[in-house]
Amino acid sequence: MPFTILTGGSFTSTGAGVKIPLPSSADFFTTENVTQEAASNPNTVIKGRWFGSKFGTGASPAGQGIKVVKTTADLTGVFSAGTGFTYVTTSPIVEAQAAAAITAITAANPAVVTQTNTYSNGDIIRIYSTTGMLQIGGMDFQISSVSGSGYTLLGLPATASNGFAAAATAGYTRRISAYNAVEPEYLYITNISQATQAVVSTSVDPSSHYVVGMKIHMSVPFSFGMTQMNQLTGKILAVNAVSATSNIGAYNLTIDIDSSTFTAFSFPASTSSPTATLFATLSPAGASTQFDPVTGVQTGYNFQIQPFRTGQFVPYMFLAGGAQSPAGANLDVINWIAYKFEN
Amino acid sequence: MTFSTGITNIDKMAPELPVQASEDLLSTPMFNLIHSFGVDLHHAESYVGKTTRMSRFERLSTDGGQLDGSGIDPASEVPVRSDIDATMEIYAKSIVTNEQVVLWENSKTLTKFTALLGQWLREKEDLLMRDLFSSSVSYINATGGLNGDQPSNISLNDVNNIENILLGNDARTMLTNLEATLKFGTAGVRDAFIALANTNLSADLQKVQGVLLKSAYPTQEGIRPEEYCSISRFRFFVSSKGAKIPGASLKGNTVYTIPMYGLEAAAKIEQNNYTAVIGYRPPWVVSSVAQNSQLYAKFAIARAITNQNWISGLNVTTFQPS
Repeated sequence: MPFTILTGGSFTSTGAGVKIPLPSSADFFTTENVTQEAASNPNTVIKGRWFGSKFGTGASPAGQGIKVVKTTADLTGVFSAGTGFTYVTTSPIVEAQAAAAITAITAANPAVVTQTNTYSNGDIIRIYSTTGMLQIGGMDFQISSVSGSGYTLLGLPATASNGFAAAATAGYTRRISAYNAVEPEYLYITNISQATQAVVSTSVDPSSHYVVGMKIHMSVPFSFGMTQMNQLTGKILAVNAVSATSNIGAYNLTIDIDSSTFTAFSFPASTSSPTATLFATLSPAGASTQFDPVTGVQTGYNFQIQPFRTGQFVPYMFLAGGAQSPAGANLDVINWIAYKFEN
Repeated sequence: MTFSTGITNIDKMAPELPVQASEDLLSTPMFNLIHSFGVDLHHAESYVGKTTRMSRFERLSTDGGQLDGSGIDPASEVPVRSDIDATMEIYAKSIVTNEQVVLWENSKTLTKFTALLGQWLREKEDLLMRDLFSSSVSYINATGGLNGDQPSNISLNDVNNIENILLGNDARTMLTNLEATLKFGTAGVRDAFIALANTNLSADLQKVQGVLLKSAYPTQEGIRPEEYCSISRFRFFVSSKGAKIPGASLKGNTVYTIPMYGLEAAAKIEQNNYTAVIGYRPPWVVSSVAQNSQLYAKFAIARAITNQNWISGLNVTTFQPS
């Protein structure tokens, strides 16, 4: 089973963990800390090796691998659990985590969730089986300010004037993939302001999915009040440019639709579920590319974000950071190489 | 006690090789491919980058326009162009075969593997188009069903809501009408939009008010085997790989997404000089001792929703949780 070297690279460590994308997957992965190899510091990791599942009983457990530690001579050992390599091959949307129980969601802007959890800032979670906030059951949210006992939903202005009469007292969550299978993806709308340039709040940070110049198509069911907005298409003028206030969430898009005379947007009451039609969403509708000779700004040519393309999960190798780990200590230069079996 | 009959029979002399290959290979299961036939096919030129731009001019305003005789020209209008971009992506799969397999396996191994790769190619393409529909289109939840979940199971009202959206956005139907004939138990079928559903919804589709199962169409000529029924202005096509999202309903049940669309709502773009290649690398290329050969399939595809006004969709759950 001959090996092929897939790819390799080098980075300067910040002391933190590093993710290395491996689109074609890998069977063997090595790191070398060239800074520490040339230095005389004792008890530092200078090499790391990870063996994939094709090595059978010799495969490396998740979060571990083989390390070579520099003492007076090279010393080979095993990374402690969680300090070595973690090969991530499936996204949470494929391998959903177990459901976790919520004990409360505040009726405030932003909404704050109380839940014992192991989530990280920026994770996307799906909330369901809610009690007291039935109108968000099944929606996806990006979370921030995560602690072990709760987190904030910056994209949910759960105020009384936005349709939330009371806090949720129970519910469940699952963490899902940060990206849908295809980008740009549809987003959940959590509020639309009444303004000459409407501000559309979304449940996740739109800056990863949309840029200025792109067009969005609005789907706003009757139950959300602002019926005039339904099925309109608008152009994005700004992303996350408006601070959270009143019913506007921290994640928002400013668009070129004048909603100042529209009826107000508001979530249907929790008590009207499950008969109220859900959800309000926006979806990608292309872009209007143009050049403004006054400002010199070109819009609509962001080919990293604008075109339809795969958003599917890419396998990656996570290297734990620190002097005893493969990603090294601050300013260490790390070389890495990924290999794969030919067959 | 038994006595020999003196006859040499099958009990005494079994065949030296106790198995033989049947002359016909059994079918490899293949799911219904429903996600591509309703989309437009475009081609990307070679050597001009991997992003294809499809552009549409939006219609001009119909406000005003009357000349009042004053001699003052009416204000001109700047046409608005919408650009739909899609990035070309390449997918591939290979099978490496030891010469001993080719030598000793029943005949035409490489031919069978080629067919297998061809099936992968079509299935993968179908799933990629499915993912486009499930990721980049706005869906609304069904509420007319009686299962108490959000979304509910599918109902006629929910289907009619989507028809309203598409007609209100001037979408054009995809399929022409089937005229009624003098056949007992049949009825005419109106010109229709397309709806794509998971096979798990078949039981619920049968119960929707006004459903016309395929067998009740006035003709079966030209009807695709994947088609299941007609409801309102939609003809439903089903596949076991139709989109579904586990644990996404209010009650945590599986949500099925049903894209429903008309003409020119979505596009599949193929790459000139590349699309759908199946190739063979002989043993003396793959292996230093000429023992392993390789078959591969590759294709290039870009996908896009070309008009969000002409596509919408329903989120539904099943009446009995599945």
